[in-house]
Amino acid sequence: MTKPLLELEDVRKLYPVKKGLIVQKEVGTVRAVDGVSFQLMSGETLAVVGESGCGKSTTARLAMRLIESTSGTIRYDGQDITKATRQDMRRLRRDMQIIFQDPYSSLNPRMTVEEIIAEPMVVHNVGDRASRRDRVRELLRLVDLAPYHADRYPHEFSGGQRQRIGIARALSVSPRLVVCDEPVSALDVSIQAQIVNLLKDLQKEFGLTYLFISHGLAVVKHVSDRVAVMYLGQIVEIADKKSLYDNPRHPYTQALLAAAPEPDPSRRTAMKSLGGDLPSPLNPPSGCRFHTRCPLAQERCRSEVPALREIGVGHRAACHFAESVPAFDRFRNGEGIHPRLQERLALYARHKAALATASA
Amino acid sequence: MSDGVVIPQSPVGVQQPEADRIVRRPSVLLLLLREPSACVALMTVVTILLAALFAPWLAPGDPYGGDLALTLQPPGELALLGTDGQGRDMITRLLYGLRTTLMIGFAAVFIGCGIGAVIGFAAAYYSRLSGLLMRLMDVLLSFPAILFGLAIAAIFGPGLTAVIIALSIATVPLMARVVRGAAIVVMQQDYIEGARALGMSDRRLILKHLLPNCLSAIFVFVTLRFGQVILLGAALSFIGLGAQPPTAELGAMAADGRNFLFFAPHVSVLPSLLIFIIVLAFNVLGDALRDALDPKLNK
Repeated sequence: MTKPLLELEDVRKLYPVKKGLIVQKEVGTVRAVDGVSFQLMSGETLAVVGESGCGKSTTARLAMRLIESTSGTIRYDGQDITKATRQDMRRLRRDMQIIFQDPYSSLNPRMTVEEIIAEPMVVHNVGDRASRRDRVRELLRLVDLAPYHADRYPHEFSGGQRQRIGIARALSVSPRLVVCDEPVSALDVSIQAQIVNLLKDLQKEFGLTYLFISHGLAVVKHVSDRVAVMYLGQIVEIADKKSLYDNPRHPYTQALLAAAPEPDPSRRTAMKSLGGDLPSPLNPPSGCRFHTRCPLAQERCRSEVPALREIGVGHRAACHFAESVPAFDRFRNGEGIHPRLQERLALYARHKAALATASA
Repeated sequence: MSDGVVIPQSPVGVQQPEADRIVRRPSVLLLLLREPSACVALMTVVTILLAALFAPWLAPGDPYGGDLALTLQPPGELALLGTDGQGRDMITRLLYGLRTTLMIGFAAVFIGCGIGAVIGFAAAYYSRLSGLLMRLMDVLLSFPAILFGLAIAAIFGPGLTAVIIALSIATVPLMARVVRGAAIVVMQQDYIEGARALGMSDRRLILKHLLPNCLSAIFVFVTLRFGQVILLGAALSFIGLGAQPPTAELGAMAADGRNFLFFAPHVSVLPSLLIFIIVLAFNVLGDALRDALDPKLNK
């Protein structure tokens, strides 16, 4: 983790909104990604987290130049790729691969698994037919599928298996950077763990760098080294995993952490989840973009845009009151339980006791 | 990374449960023959094609010269399927008519669908071109095929070339719309974005990813259109813009017979029946082919 492999600097993606059939007038801009900067060190995993519509997937696609940025610089391995030519970009694409969210639409249904996994090698002229064949079987084994699966079609596999095929495809040309766009969101929980563990193993084995997009903090805790939280096209807090989970400084991060499902009811906190919807990126709120939903919002938040500033070692947050935000402790044992929930638990205990006496 | 790679081959005497489970996908032809209706359609189509191809050798008589003493003979021992209004043998006329009709159908569908597909894919893939191309198609779409026939017959003179050109032009916008619609749906799939992320050429992306996934829509349309084109060609011949006498063409023959419909129905009915069989066989075959080519439907 010495030099950044990928570096985004004040990257913006604005979509003009046009009206009119023939003479089109610009009536506004959707600020999908609005000034995002981060560095992704070689060999690390940076997770980008936020609710849907916050621009995290757009950021991932901008980083791979699948969509063109409106402004800002994107450096891959020190080279500004926003100005790279088609040929240069083609060469770079061998180095950066993507794993998609939906395992059903990310594999071409008309191609066999072998064709799918071998395609990156064909496009980048890696090896000959025989060596590609061997490589496909090797990759299948690597992602815990069997070599005889190579002749089958994607529809013959389950979601988790398809995601493995997608991972094998991404790895076929030995990339350095893998963008994982919510790779486990479409899978059920038991399969999620398998895929996450597989991704971690592969990272260890091949020294991969991950840009890991996710909408929840729960999965991310397991895979990431650092976490960036996005809200309405901007990063509101970025820190290494430990300090973000132990000491979140932005109220939005706290709300996201509180929203993660907690299987143990006695550890559920009374922290209210955020109300309302994500405001429209077409017309973002003034000042701090989060002030419309922030439980701690004050007058200053409405007028003044908070800067993403350093508040600890490698920990930056965009909140005026980052230092004074109350500490977040989602595991305040017992206290803070919703009174309704307490009633329920007492009721359950009484019922159990009654059953015990009846049978005795 | 290349160490320890073992390709599952079947060494003699070694039990290989994995390799045994590889079931080769049956060929497209085999899949077609599993379906009884497809089987019948395939045989019909092959018969029709062979008959058209070898018409000069199969035909018992001369398609143009008839015996005026033996006009409108009903099917019987003199002529197996009777004779037409000018005493020409119906079998001979039908065989030669089949040739002309099929040629019109194939040529118009091939040219029209070819150009239409290119325009449709271009409009879907290069969104900047979409507006211009599709408005152009809308203009073409607003003219009925018969009107094209009239206009082109006025320029080139009535005949088979005029019919083929007119029907090709009438097919282009329909095909372009069908292809664009199907392609736009496919373009939204993640695997297209994945293909882009690989940095492959537009050509490869369109041919390997876009086209195969639009095939079912294309197949349905092309077979349907083939039937329509044959009917339209027959209609153009019927109103005198298509095949000129004495050329044998199924539509023109059906038109010729309409004056004798009540006392010699075979002159009209036989070519009409043949058109019906051609259209039906091609449609059934097209549907079956679409299913056979879709890996998802293979069992």
